[in-house]
Amino acid sequence: MRPLLEVEGLVKSFGTTKAVKGLDFTVMEGRCAALLGPNGAGKTTTIRMLTGLLKATKGTVRINGCSGSSHRDMRELLGYVPQSPSFYGWMTGKEYVAYAGKLCGLTARQADIRASELLSRVGLEEAGKRRIQGYSGGMKQRLGLAQSLVHQPKLLVMDEPVSALDPIGRREVLELLQELKSETTVLFSTHVLHDAEELCDDIIIMASGQIALQGSLQEVRNNNRLPVISIRLEEGEASREWALTLKRDAESFAQKTVERENESTAAALPHMTSSHLPLQRMPLLRHVREVEVEGYLVRLIVDDIAEARRSLLEELLRENVGVSKLEVGFSSLEDLFMKVVSG
Amino acid sequence: MSGLAASERSVRPSSGLSRFAAMFGKELLELVRSLKLIWVPIVFIALGIMQPVTSYYMPVILEKAGNLPDGSVIEIPLPTGAQVMAETLAQFGSLGALVIVLVFMGTVSSERNSGAVSMILVKPVSPASYLVSKWGAMLLLSSLSLLAGYGAAWYYTGFLIEAVAFKAVLSSFLLYELWLLVLLTLTLLLSTALRSAAGAAFAALGAGAVLSLLSNLFPKYAGWLPGALPGFARQAVMGSLEWSSRFGACLVATVMLLAALVLLANILLRRAAAID
Amino acid sequence: MNMAEELGQLKELLPIIAPIMVLQLILMVIALVLCIKSSQTRGPKWVWILVIIFANLIGPIAFMVFGRRNE
Repeated sequence: MRPLLEVEGLVKSFGTTKAVKGLDFTVMEGRCAALLGPNGAGKTTTIRMLTGLLKATKGTVRINGCSGSSHRDMRELLGYVPQSPSFYGWMTGKEYVAYAGKLCGLTARQADIRASELLSRVGLEEAGKRRIQGYSGGMKQRLGLAQSLVHQPKLLVMDEPVSALDPIGRREVLELLQELKSETTVLFSTHVLHDAEELCDDIIIMASGQIALQGSLQEVRNNNRLPVISIRLEEGEASREWALTLKRDAESFAQKTVERENESTAAALPHMTSSHLPLQRMPLLRHVREVEVEGYLVRLIVDDIAEARRSLLEELLRENVGVSKLEVGFSSLEDLFMKVVSG
Repeated sequence: MSGLAASERSVRPSSGLSRFAAMFGKELLELVRSLKLIWVPIVFIALGIMQPVTSYYMPVILEKAGNLPDGSVIEIPLPTGAQVMAETLAQFGSLGALVIVLVFMGTVSSERNSGAVSMILVKPVSPASYLVSKWGAMLLLSSLSLLAGYGAAWYYTGFLIEAVAFKAVLSSFLLYELWLLVLLTLTLLLSTALRSAAGAAFAALGAGAVLSLLSNLFPKYAGWLPGALPGFARQAVMGSLEWSSRFGACLVATVMLLAALVLLANILLRRAAAID
Repeated sequence: MNMAEELGQLKELLPIIAPIMVLQLILMVIALVLCIKSSQTRGPKWVWILVIIFANLIGPIAFMVFGRRNE
């Protein structure tokens, strides 16, 4: 496996605002990578710079070793589908794909043959004879895919390929991508974690113009899997009160831990642990990293599941809190994504 | 190494020229499909016929329409053929130029606004060939329309009034086409620079008006500007055009302006292919 | 001036006026076909149809330049 797309120190500023603040990542040949992030994270700007449509303020993009200076060569290796591809409505689908082929250097005959192949590949062989202005969103996306593949690019870059589609269109395009990713290297941006999980080998999570986290999907999932205990409380003022104090105590405990670490060796003074935190709660707090409260649903992210569960049960008994459900599991990629993106 | 790389990729034996040909072919097909290749020449033909016909029938029309007292005699001398042709050019300069600029006002901006340009410019083609293909379509449609309209005017003038020398007509046609190209190339640049198609048309027509105003008001200082072209075309058809340094300077300035406008459009398009 | 004289003048005029009328008719037909076929027009379609039919020359041109929303 060798690197196909190499991005180094990529920066884009619009006036004084920095939309992309220095990205470094690599996509290996044959992999499928997702550029994941919320709206406004700088995904589209990044993709535009990769395709050469937007000049980077700083940094380099290399595809297969070709850098921006030999811009022409780079585009020969690249297929691009924008978020909502826009065609010439007066052309037929087949004419457009053949036109794209001719622009990539195919002769008229080669382009025609290739267009027929690709259209049947994306399921548009019938619609290909009709004018594009009558196409649905899903059909346009598939046509965009067909025209991007006309010159057999080494790297296929897509900006939010399914986010603008209805459920049926989404399904169609996702299934196509599932097939395609075995044939070529794919990089696509999305704000939907689920799409990335379904298709990708690698994920690059972006938040406010920077890479928050990157790696193979498996790796990221394993490294960030945390045990979670979720409990559903019986409704009532007491339950609510208990959940909120637990959350508050967990937060101040976490803060104290940080302070103690900062004061390094001089720490562990007796007055620091005593303070106002209830002493009986300490065994639980020691194992809890975070508490999320949502109505009567409480999620505790813990480090040692057995210890945490034991002390939690003791706590519930002692405080006489009614529980209707208790579940032990692991945090999902979704939790991680939400955390990375919001923090 | 290079052999390996070449065999890895699919073979691509074509040149930039054939890619340009594909783009120009697309522009042509668009002119045909949108029926512009038919209706714009028809408008010019209608304009071209109307001028000689109204000149010829003006006395009759006035007599029928006017509430003149009985016995008054109308003496309107029939204009010469060359005069009629010159008036026809003036018609093309107002309504004709308006129509042709409006036809092309969104030529780049509409494709840029929709994002169709970014689909094209990620392909291994140059922005310059994209612009030149558009310019080629402008040249084709404008020369065809002017040829048809001016030809019709020539035929009608010869039929109704008097024949006008072919050479005079041809040279005035070429000069006037050059003027239309100035307006259209301005439109091309402004359509690349501005988002709004109407804005581009307005600005292009405004710039054209300023050019011709300057060269008419200050012939001594600004007589070499492309704005003087309609005047030279008029002189050509009247048979009074003589080679002068000002005429030569005007031709050179026009060609340079056209090149500069396309270059500037190219720089703008390179800087940002898509806007949104 | 009598009827016969006017008719005579009309006969003389007709071959000259006819081509203009034919051209206007062609323009009108093209514009009408485009208008009726287009899925979307800028402004109500029936207004455009009236404009195309009743405003000679200018109507069809106006529709073809401004009336169409090209996708």
